[in-house]
Amino acid sequence: MRPFLKTEALPADVVTLRRALFLATGGGILLAGGFLMFSILSPGGVSALEWILLGLFIPLFAQISFGFAIAFWGFAILLRGDSYQVMRTLPPNSPGDPPPGSTAVVLPVFNEDPSRIFAGLENMFRSISATPDSHSFDFFVLSDSNVPNRWIEEELAWVGLCKRLNAFGRIFYRKRRVPIHGKSGNIADFCRRWGGRYRYLIILDADSVMEGETLVRLARAMDANPRVGVIQTQPSIVRGASLLQRLIQFTTRVAGPVFAAGSNFWHLDAGNYWGHNAIIRLQPFMEHCVLPEIPGSTAANRHIMSHDTIEAALMRRAGFQVWFAYLEPGSYEEGPPNLLESLKRDRRWCQGNLQHFWFLFAPSTSFANRLHIFFGLMAYLTAPMLILFMLASAVDFHGRQHYAVLADRLAEMQSAPRASLLLLAVTVCLLFLPKLFGTVLLIRKASPFGGPVLLVASGLLETALSILLAPVLLYFYTKFVVLGLLGIRVAWKSQNRSSSAIPFADALRTFGEPTVAGVLATAAAVVWTPQLIPWLSPILVGWLLAIPLAMATSSERIGLWLARIGLLQIPEESELPAILTGLDAPPNASPYSHSGLLHVALSPYANSVHASMLRRSTVKARHKEAYLTSLRVRLLSGGPENLSRRELLSLLWDAEAVALLHREVWQCADDNLHSWWREGMKQFSEASALRDR
Amino acid sequence: MDKLSLPPEWNAACVRVEDYLRAHRVSSRTHLLQLTLDMTAAAQAEYREGSPETPVQAALRLATARTEMWFSLLAGSDSSTDTTAASRGRVAYFVTECNRRWPAAFLDPSPPPEMLAAIRNATIQAGPALEFRSLVRKEIDYGPMEDIARETWDQFSWGHVLRAFAIWVVIFFAAYGIWLRFFS
Repeated sequence: MRPFLKTEALPADVVTLRRALFLATGGGILLAGGFLMFSILSPGGVSALEWILLGLFIPLFAQISFGFAIAFWGFAILLRGDSYQVMRTLPPNSPGDPPPGSTAVVLPVFNEDPSRIFAGLENMFRSISATPDSHSFDFFVLSDSNVPNRWIEEELAWVGLCKRLNAFGRIFYRKRRVPIHGKSGNIADFCRRWGGRYRYLIILDADSVMEGETLVRLARAMDANPRVGVIQTQPSIVRGASLLQRLIQFTTRVAGPVFAAGSNFWHLDAGNYWGHNAIIRLQPFMEHCVLPEIPGSTAANRHIMSHDTIEAALMRRAGFQVWFAYLEPGSYEEGPPNLLESLKRDRRWCQGNLQHFWFLFAPSTSFANRLHIFFGLMAYLTAPMLILFMLASAVDFHGRQHYAVLADRLAEMQSAPRASLLLLAVTVCLLFLPKLFGTVLLIRKASPFGGPVLLVASGLLETALSILLAPVLLYFYTKFVVLGLLGIRVAWKSQNRSSSAIPFADALRTFGEPTVAGVLATAAAVVWTPQLIPWLSPILVGWLLAIPLAMATSSERIGLWLARIGLLQIPEESELPAILTGLDAPPNASPYSHSGLLHVALSPYANSVHASMLRRSTVKARHKEAYLTSLRVRLLSGGPENLSRRELLSLLWDAEAVALLHREVWQCADDNLHSWWREGMKQFSEASALRDR
Repeated sequence: MDKLSLPPEWNAACVRVEDYLRAHRVSSRTHLLQLTLDMTAAAQAEYREGSPETPVQAALRLATARTEMWFSLLAGSDSSTDTTAASRGRVAYFVTECNRRWPAAFLDPSPPPEMLAAIRNATIQAGPALEFRSLVRKEIDYGPMEDIARETWDQFSWGHVLRAFAIWVVIFFAAYGIWLRFFS
């Protein structure tokens, strides 16, 4: 491989050549597919409906062709070795090296399970403490949690962790009072407060974990390349228990590397940013990447929901490079536990990606970023297009058949199947070859995947399940696009990353829709186009089985059973890295839905920790004091259900009120306390007595 | 006064005081019991017949006042009403694990100097010193699509849509009528 000492030394002809090769591969396949489709439609002349069909086919096939082109070049580059990787610019470590630039590692959180967040943070802190450069790194938990319990649990977990690791002054916790603009607003708030203190920012997700060594290497790579604005790592999806999680983590481990290498092949220094497990140069980020407003009729519509792709485009626009460290190990995240959570996330992403439409036409968007935005858009837009394509095909077929029978020209229709079969074969190859590429690359080092036989068997199982799941996703993506285009917005919701089975009632409520769609579509096909049923069956079966599929893929029992027999295995399952140990601590199970509130009211320490972290107002308006007093009275006499979440948050945001609540709850006679408090005090005291023993 | 012969109505007060003190993680059991009885007895001694307070309220008022005062003192404040200092002292007591290191020192009016030093050096820092930066949004030219969209938003109303729909319905029926009349 050629030496690559500085990313600035990236030869322009390499960029041009690689992009030309990529576009020629994708474009060539698209041209061939388009020609085949035209040859299918052309006998007997092309009707208006068939032109529409062709118009829908081109973007749909483009998605597949360019996806294949990425995988093909990824496969080639992984076989041959890639000279142009950002992490290759790192000089070898030597004892006299200056420490890496000051780096803030931030975890934006929003109501996720604190025990999991802080277990991951603890592992990362221990891991970085084992490196000689740990003092360049500070950690921040940036909370936007708006569930009172979560807030209190986070605070207590933070104090506990800092105490355990003696990390006060190294691990910080910030709770935002008004969580506007979701995660991007959370990061922006951090930048306003502390952005000036650090050179780099490593952004994680609540479920992300990164090795200390990886954090150091990323900071050093930034030091070595002053024109690099962002380095995105490729996090391995790990710790899956449900069938869906294990399916996703296996797919990303087999096919993921070829797509990642292929992406780097064509974009090189014009990569994308995924919003987490990435390092950012803070100064240009604060100067150039403040999210602009997009055109919109209301203020809410003008805010960009999905910030990462746009931030990468803005960073590039400012003259900085964005690289993808796709081979860098030690970067992890977790997948959604079930289809419901996965779809919730997709709905957010879909609406965010649709907003990116505006940047496609912005003159300042560079070619590579325009492509990233276009691929992101098409990832969801192709779903309604495919449904329209199928509908139009069925109508066209019905019409042709009717016409052929009436005009006695059935023979003309006979020429179509050969070209159709060829097009089908090409499409299937384009769809499944990337998985084959991934398997071929792994087959000689397959032991972490259970050996070659289990690797292939897992691949076949994964393919079969993906075929069944694809129509369900197709249905929901279509729905999301329609909702998005109608301007129906979604709130930024936390993912439930703890594995949980979908109960039948929930499955029926959500996945009843595609099932009904499947029944109607099957009935329509039986009546009007029975010959098309075999062609439509993959879609129809997926829709008809949506409910059992959703339930089965959410099952940990099935997922873990497959793990026991060695299917869908990934290397981290055969040998768990130290950084991922101890993350399975059960969430703080409490019989109380307001256990955090109970704790902050009864425990002198929880109360003081919470109160000491709030800003105290020197002057308090009399009406506010009266309001808070009334809240405390209602809380003690009526229990927490007597207060809305907003009222509870108002109370918890006031240090004086929190201290008074603690005093009053202990001083209150039993008769004046709501039964919730009496029972809570009993439980609390029993727990304290048990701890003392 | 015999500390072990509390009247029955003070039993509940005694239990509540014990629970309250235990919540401070006093690790010495004998010290905890001693403090409980002392405080309950003191509250009983202060209690006046006909007081609107119940024994529980009276005992806990005294217990919370004493502990808060003590934590305020630990934090270097001599004000009994300074809840900030009390919170600060409590947090410091907790994070420095004084309850484990000096088990008999809880509520001791003259705590060991090492404990005082540990408490006064302890801080919990939620964030480093602020260094404010302003983030300025830069406008972006979205090209011709933006102008088209803005014109649409500025001019769009459902009234226009309904009017246009009504006109097309009229045209359709008129055309259909002409076709039926002259061409069918």
